[in-house]
Amino acid sequence: MLNYIFKRIIHAAEVLFVVSLITFAVLLWIPGDVAQLILGSDATPEKLEALRISLGLDRAWYLQYWDWLKGLFRLDLGQSYLFGQNVTTLIAQRLPVTLSIAVFSMLIASVTAILLGSLAAIKKNTKTDYFVTGLMQLGSSVPSFWIGMLCIVFFGLKLKIFPITGYVPIEKGFIPYLNSIFLPSFVLAIGEIGMLLRTVRTSMLDSLRQDYMDMAKVKGLPKVTVYLKYALRSAMIAPINVMGIQFAKLVGGTVVIESVFSLPGLGRLILVAVEQRDIMLLQGLVIFITFLVILISLIVDIAVMFLNPRIRVQMEGE
Amino acid sequence: MNLKENDEKLIDIRNLTITTSSGQILIKDITLDMEKGEILGVVGESSSGKSLTAKSILNLLPEGLHWEAEKFQVMGLDYLKEDPDKIRSFIGEKIGYIPQNTGNYLHPMIKIKDQIADGYVLYAKESMEEALARAAKLVSAVGIRDTDRLLNSYPWQLSGGMRQRVNIAMALMNKPRMIIADEPTAALDSTVQRQVIDLFKIVNQNHNTSVLMISHDFGLIKYYCERILVVYAGQIMEEADRDELFNNPKHPYTKALIKVIPSLNIKKDERLQEIKGNVPDMRVPVKGCVFKDRCPYRKEICDTEVEDKLINENHYYKCHFDL
Amino acid sequence: MGKNKMKVNKKYHLLVGGILSFLVLSLCLVSFFYTPYPPNEMNLSDKFISPGDSGKYLLGTDHFGRDILSRIMYGSQSIVIVCLLAVAIGALVGSVLGGVSGIFKGRISSLIMRGIDGLMAFPGILLAMMMVVVVGKGKEGAIVAISIFMVPSFARLVYSLILDSESNLFIKAAKSYGITRRRLLVKHYLPIILPRLITLFTACLGAAIMIETSLSFLGLGVQPPNASWGMMLNEARQNFLQYPYLAIPSGIAISLSVLGFNLLGDGLNELFTKRRS
Repeated sequence: MLNYIFKRIIHAAEVLFVVSLITFAVLLWIPGDVAQLILGSDATPEKLEALRISLGLDRAWYLQYWDWLKGLFRLDLGQSYLFGQNVTTLIAQRLPVTLSIAVFSMLIASVTAILLGSLAAIKKNTKTDYFVTGLMQLGSSVPSFWIGMLCIVFFGLKLKIFPITGYVPIEKGFIPYLNSIFLPSFVLAIGEIGMLLRTVRTSMLDSLRQDYMDMAKVKGLPKVTVYLKYALRSAMIAPINVMGIQFAKLVGGTVVIESVFSLPGLGRLILVAVEQRDIMLLQGLVIFITFLVILISLIVDIAVMFLNPRIRVQMEGE
Repeated sequence: MNLKENDEKLIDIRNLTITTSSGQILIKDITLDMEKGEILGVVGESSSGKSLTAKSILNLLPEGLHWEAEKFQVMGLDYLKEDPDKIRSFIGEKIGYIPQNTGNYLHPMIKIKDQIADGYVLYAKESMEEALARAAKLVSAVGIRDTDRLLNSYPWQLSGGMRQRVNIAMALMNKPRMIIADEPTAALDSTVQRQVIDLFKIVNQNHNTSVLMISHDFGLIKYYCERILVVYAGQIMEEADRDELFNNPKHPYTKALIKVIPSLNIKKDERLQEIKGNVPDMRVPVKGCVFKDRCPYRKEICDTEVEDKLINENHYYKCHFDL
Repeated sequence: MGKNKMKVNKKYHLLVGGILSFLVLSLCLVSFFYTPYPPNEMNLSDKFISPGDSGKYLLGTDHFGRDILSRIMYGSQSIVIVCLLAVAIGALVGSVLGGVSGIFKGRISSLIMRGIDGLMAFPGILLAMMMVVVVGKGKEGAIVAISIFMVPSFARLVYSLILDSESNLFIKAAKSYGITRRRLLVKHYLPIILPRLITLFTACLGAAIMIETSLSFLGLGVQPPNASWGMMLNEARQNFLQYPYLAIPSGIAISLSVLGFNLLGDGLNELFTKRRS
């Protein structure tokens, strides 16, 4: 089974390599001259040429790629021409915001999906089931930026429960921090609950059909024990896998949400990089976020293996 | 059919009928009586409805199946009236169930010790240590030596026979007043089979625990049960005390089964080759006798009707003829 | 009884999904011939008219006094054209890539599938945003961005279907008769693959609408003055705190069309699964 972990890591490394290649290639094709972009339209040809050489733009693409790749290993993602700062520094500044929203909304989505999904499975083909699955269908069809806008009006302006926009770092107190990220996380979660809930429901239904559920019932155990100890345990493996995939989608989804709630996170940075065509910044952001996502799905895969005792004990035996 | 009217019956079921949602009749008018301390055997080919009967007593009918009965009482508890939660805890406390070994009746992700004892802790109101001590005792009684290691294992680390022995021990945890055993020894080799059956007998004698044993293995049933029900296609063909049934079988199906016994090893899910023909397709209601297609004594009358016959109060069979 | 209820549920997916999708498509068709007002016509004296306030504008007007209903109708064009085209391109490229690697195997296959894995690893709309930088903002950018996003799903589906059907007895038998590759593809693979492709295509339309509206909400999609639903929401942001009605119609339009195609996809999936079993 160690063998499996090893293979899984190799695969992740392969994917990461392909991702770096795609990112680099795509942004190499960008029309227009990077040096021109940086220096502006009134720069002299000599200056432009000098900058091109100092940036290494005059060399073959594979040499440029090699340099960039070497930089990645040193955690050096280059300079943002827009901010005049290291891309790594910029990312480090904004990461807490995005990570907070992503983790928090994953938490909201998981808890809701597990509760409602199990409920729908237990009450299969009843009004409760139809209501929950219908609600989930609706939730995954509504765009998060729209819900975000509606929530700002409703919770921020009408009820005045949450601040409308802005981010409060955790150092300034946990409650204000929580207040500032709750609404965006909640809105982001709404879109993610659907697929997760569907998975929970399906695997819970499967688990409820198993013979050992009969045995648990015959033993006269209370319903709560039967569902929590016996049914949910085996029903959790597939959803945890999906959570890994969801998390990736979520990090991407923060771009829109951060824009709606004016939060200074990675998503905003990406938007700025795209609008201002800050290639180094965009490259760095894309590769960093994708690396994060690949890492998380790797961890989730290995975690699932450990959760499943069948595989775990085989591994100990080796 | 046992006609003694007695309120102290362990099981008193009258005319149990089980149908699917599409109206297919799986079990028709089965009447089941059991006395306290009795060992009753139900014998029949697979899909004859013997397991379903047991599952209705355990309140485990699969989704989409529906049962109805004139009377359905187990140890005085009326299933027709009682609240489902009450029935559930009643079953947990008073009935032990040993399932067919083909399924996964042990949760694959939970250690044996955590699933063998939870029912006992709940109903005997004992500590977990006490429960595990009892579990170890029972597990060694079904022939497992390294009880510690077994209790700390996951089910998939055990062989089929081991798992079945865990199931048996688990059914005995609560000192049940009744055990329902559905092909309890199918996965066990003959030595262990004997060991387990002797254990049942000991429990039966010492605690007056009744046993309802379901099997396709007529040899096992003969060795073990005091009274026998022969089931075919969801109906009772013949019912009698063991000696009466074997000395004086009346129904052609029973006769055929007895003839087959010497081979003793009918494999599960295999129809009896020795009796020609198939169990009828139960989606179409059968007119007359359900066994007629395979019956060597078939006459015209069998196509339209069938007769319930009572030789004495302990011997019933369902056939026109007195063979 | 449970079974019958399930059937009702399946039919309901197909029915509601079909109706909603049909509505979106017909809204788009009608908008080519008729909108109550020219969608881009500004009328500053009539700005911020709430839906109930005047008989003239059913859904009210925006900050330039443009009729919201007309803009919603016109905006459906960008949704339908961009998304249909983008998913079609993505489906074509993806299916070809998946088909090639499924049929030829070996080096080509592993190369292609590695690339697909890489594409799939990009989270959310990140890849789409990168493509926008390359192609530029606007319809073309959105089409390229969305179609690239769709490639992996189709490639994987076709690839796995071909691998699955290798073990299929019919196809094994047909191969042993020395059937030509083309006949094999048309007579044997297509009937297996086509229903699944149609299902995925429909489901992807829902996802495509989500991306398109997100892009135009971020200002990277269709450019002003042309209307698109995402952009209308973006424009509403400046004033919707005062005039919340601005944010309602386009939000509902997006939600209903995504819901429609999602339901239709689910319904088709259930329909085809039932037929196969």
